[in-house]
Amino acid sequence: MIVKNVKAYYVTRSGPEVKAVDDVSFSIRDGEVFGIVGESGCGKSTLAAVMSLTAGRMLKIKSGEMTLDSHTVALSGPIKVPKDWHGKLVALLPQQSMNSLNPTARMRNFIVDVVRAHHPLMHPDEAVRQARERLEQLALPVRVLDSYPHQLSGGMRQRVVAVISTLLNPKLLIADEPTSALDVSSQRQLIQLIQQLLERGFITRTVYITHDLPMLRNIAHRIAVMYAGKVVEVGTTEEIIEQPTHPYTQALIASTLDLDPQLRGRQIEGISGAPPDLRYPPSGCRFHPRCSRALEICSREEPPILGEEGRLVACWWVQEQSGKGYREVEQ
Amino acid sequence: MTADLNLQKPSAGARVWATSLWHSLQSVFSPRFMFGFVLMLLLLAFGFLGPVIFNRDDPMEFVGLLYDPPSEEAWLGTDNFGHDVFTQLMYGTRTSIVIGLIAGSVATVIGILIGTVAGFQGGMVEEILMALTNIVITIPSIVILILLSIAFKTRSIVGMGVIIGVTAWPWTARAVRAQTSSLRTREHVDVARLSGTRTLSLIIWEIIPYMLSYIVMAFVLQLNSGILQEAALSMLGLGIDRGVSLGIMLQWALLWESVRTGAWWAFIPPTLFLTLIAFSLLLLQSSIDEIFNPRLRRS
Amino acid sequence: MQGLLTVYGENMSKFQQYILNKVFWFLFAFLIALIANFILPRLIPGNPVDAIIGQMSSGGGVSGEALEKVYAAYIAEFGLDKPLGEQFLTYIGRIAQGDLGVSFARSPARVQELIAEALPWTIALQLPAILIGWTLGNLLGVLAAYKKGWLDRALFPTFMFTSSMPYYCLSILLLYFLAVYLRIFPAGGGYSYAVSPGFNWTFITSALEHYFLPFVSLVIIFVGGQALGMRAMSIYELDADYVRFSRSLGVGDNRIIFYIFRNAMLPQVTGLALAIGSLVSGALITEIVFGYPGVGTLLFRSIRQSDYPVIQGITLFIMIAVLLANFFVDIAYGYIDPRIRARTAGER
Repeated sequence: MIVKNVKAYYVTRSGPEVKAVDDVSFSIRDGEVFGIVGESGCGKSTLAAVMSLTAGRMLKIKSGEMTLDSHTVALSGPIKVPKDWHGKLVALLPQQSMNSLNPTARMRNFIVDVVRAHHPLMHPDEAVRQARERLEQLALPVRVLDSYPHQLSGGMRQRVVAVISTLLNPKLLIADEPTSALDVSSQRQLIQLIQQLLERGFITRTVYITHDLPMLRNIAHRIAVMYAGKVVEVGTTEEIIEQPTHPYTQALIASTLDLDPQLRGRQIEGISGAPPDLRYPPSGCRFHPRCSRALEICSREEPPILGEEGRLVACWWVQEQSGKGYREVEQ
Repeated sequence: MTADLNLQKPSAGARVWATSLWHSLQSVFSPRFMFGFVLMLLLLAFGFLGPVIFNRDDPMEFVGLLYDPPSEEAWLGTDNFGHDVFTQLMYGTRTSIVIGLIAGSVATVIGILIGTVAGFQGGMVEEILMALTNIVITIPSIVILILLSIAFKTRSIVGMGVIIGVTAWPWTARAVRAQTSSLRTREHVDVARLSGTRTLSLIIWEIIPYMLSYIVMAFVLQLNSGILQEAALSMLGLGIDRGVSLGIMLQWALLWESVRTGAWWAFIPPTLFLTLIAFSLLLLQSSIDEIFNPRLRRS
Repeated sequence: MQGLLTVYGENMSKFQQYILNKVFWFLFAFLIALIANFILPRLIPGNPVDAIIGQMSSGGGVSGEALEKVYAAYIAEFGLDKPLGEQFLTYIGRIAQGDLGVSFARSPARVQELIAEALPWTIALQLPAILIGWTLGNLLGVLAAYKKGWLDRALFPTFMFTSSMPYYCLSILLLYFLAVYLRIFPAGGGYSYAVSPGFNWTFITSALEHYFLPFVSLVIIFVGGQALGMRAMSIYELDADYVRFSRSLGVGDNRIIFYIFRNAMLPQVTGLALAIGSLVSGALITEIVFGYPGVGTLLFRSIRQSDYPVIQGITLFIMIAVLLANFFVDIAYGYIDPRIRARTAGER
């Protein structure tokens, strides 16, 4: 699948727009877990909202296009997204499962609503039967069907939400910081569940969004690094971790990977300065005020996108070192 | 060190008072607020300046017979006694608003007093005060008002306001207590306490400024319900026993069948004015509310 | 209070404790209400019997000797010559037997008989108005919040206006324009004077004709307030994550409105029960405006006639109704909302 030229700005009551996602493109391969990593406030959750077609009314999508299998949908403008996209092609696994579920509905009732939204003629019992079968396949307890959200533990609730999200076998699952509220063992169980869903073909591909690079290393096949609304580097997990080329990626890896998990903050240490105010993003390369490699051109012009399909980096400094075989690509 | 903090403290409190006021001023920009505000000013001017402007010094003067229709002398006709309805309307508006103001002030002061003391002291004091509050909340105020009103042989404007006020404070008290308990643990309160500020000035300078917006809103609500309660009591026959209020005008109009005889000038004006007062106060209250609770705002 | 209950609450479930707590508060508030109802009228300078006798004698036509007798009879009836404590006990004892005493103005009719006569009218007027107003208000409120746009822009100010309007003002205006000016409806009363109450067609049509205006005036006011509350609650619910998540899975608008409706409504259930509890006191003046033969009109007449036993009986009746409603709301709320049920029952 391909995501192309997504620009999504928040409209503020007074003053300029917040350029939360600014011209982001990437492609995801079948059967892949595609990680998106970045500090909080870099626009990754906004990207999740855009891709899962759940953008709120404050978010204006300026441009963008998403191609999923043979379907293409324009994300900008007053689009009418085909109803089937929600849940059947694209599904969201949200951050906080406690608030994501209607507090006064049992799981079985919510499941019936989800399934019948796409198969209006299906008998409710049949919908529940399918869900039960799915739970059994994934070795989850069937009794959760009769529970209210508050009756489940945080980890179990998040796993059940993942099952409900993928009940209709969506082509793309967008997991937006799904483990951020969970303890370590629940995190591991959820990740295993997502891998199982992929292996069994219940979902075709996953975008996994997080600020937690070490955790992403365990699940993602490829990683895109986001900074201040832009994708600065894309590569396989190994490439990103072992041979980061963008100065931001390098700083990110240096500051997060070897630390004790307890110390990993949302803020990336070791890089001086703070992420920019996205109402007034820096000119040229958005990272240049914090970049130790910044050249004079970085503050003037947007960096070129270098490399080849699947291994991209947007950086002037990298181009200067271009003996290493990077060349600008046409986007 | 202590001296330093002591010097800082009143100015911090004063600053919060000032910013609170500033925030209230900012709400002036909302059209809803402006509309309610201008309406209220007009009503106040009508009630308080009207008698002077139009030179009507006695609402009880007889200018005609029973239910004379509007004419050049009596712009809104006469009531069942032959009083001039227009003059009565001015005095009635004034009386109703005055009673509302007294009731609102009494209720707000008692509410703040009980709420802050309960929230600030905690423990046994809090439990007793809140138990009292809960009981007064459960007993319907109209019942207490009826019982209190018949217990008084004469009912003056002030007396009426006080009676209504003493039945209306619990909601304010309850909310003020909740806010106080959450404010109590804030750092600036601790600092002030450690620097030896007395409880009373602590409450005035470190607690109340932080919920000023809420208090203003509660007062507007109480003012509104005070005016309506007065009208309801008057229509039940338990209003002030000398003078005229909007409720008293309605009571006479109903008692003397002005509605069924078609003497619209006797009952439409007070009805309309009660509605306008209530509407302008609701606009004020809800626009202030939106300023302080942005969640309610719609883009 | 909480501490007191936990002493013998070791092997009691939290939910039982909750109920016991509420029962205790109910009884306590009830006692306070009884005392208030007993004490306040006795603060009248002199005593109520003096007041009524004064009125009777000023009307003339009653001989001094007869007055003496009436006076003595009333004093004995109310036990006003006895110490206050004893009076209170007699008062409690009588109430326990359902006896509210004798009406001054319509002696020898007993107060409970007068109330029983008026009450069906009040209930028949108010209960349907409350139920319909509540349901309609909730539906319109959630619709305005969810659909936004022109619907919200039209409904919101309308509701603002009707709910800010004192309910008796609307009654007066409706009565004048529809009954007096346009003569579409009868101008007051519970039924036409030409028919006598009974279970027959003429009486029922007459009663319905007289019913319509007061009913509509109550419904309009109730819809406004209810819709505003529901709209605010729904806007709050609309921002909830579960709405976004459900949408992301393609769950239809109707189902989502239903979720919001249900969740925003739980708090409104309290409002409904309290409205039913304050049914008698809620619209006393509507009845007066329309001359509807319910409790409000009875109260109005009793106040004019200084009929203290009836006034006291009505106030007591209102208080009991409201306290009971509060009590049942507290209990029922624990059952309706699974979240509260969980918190009080201590389940996970």
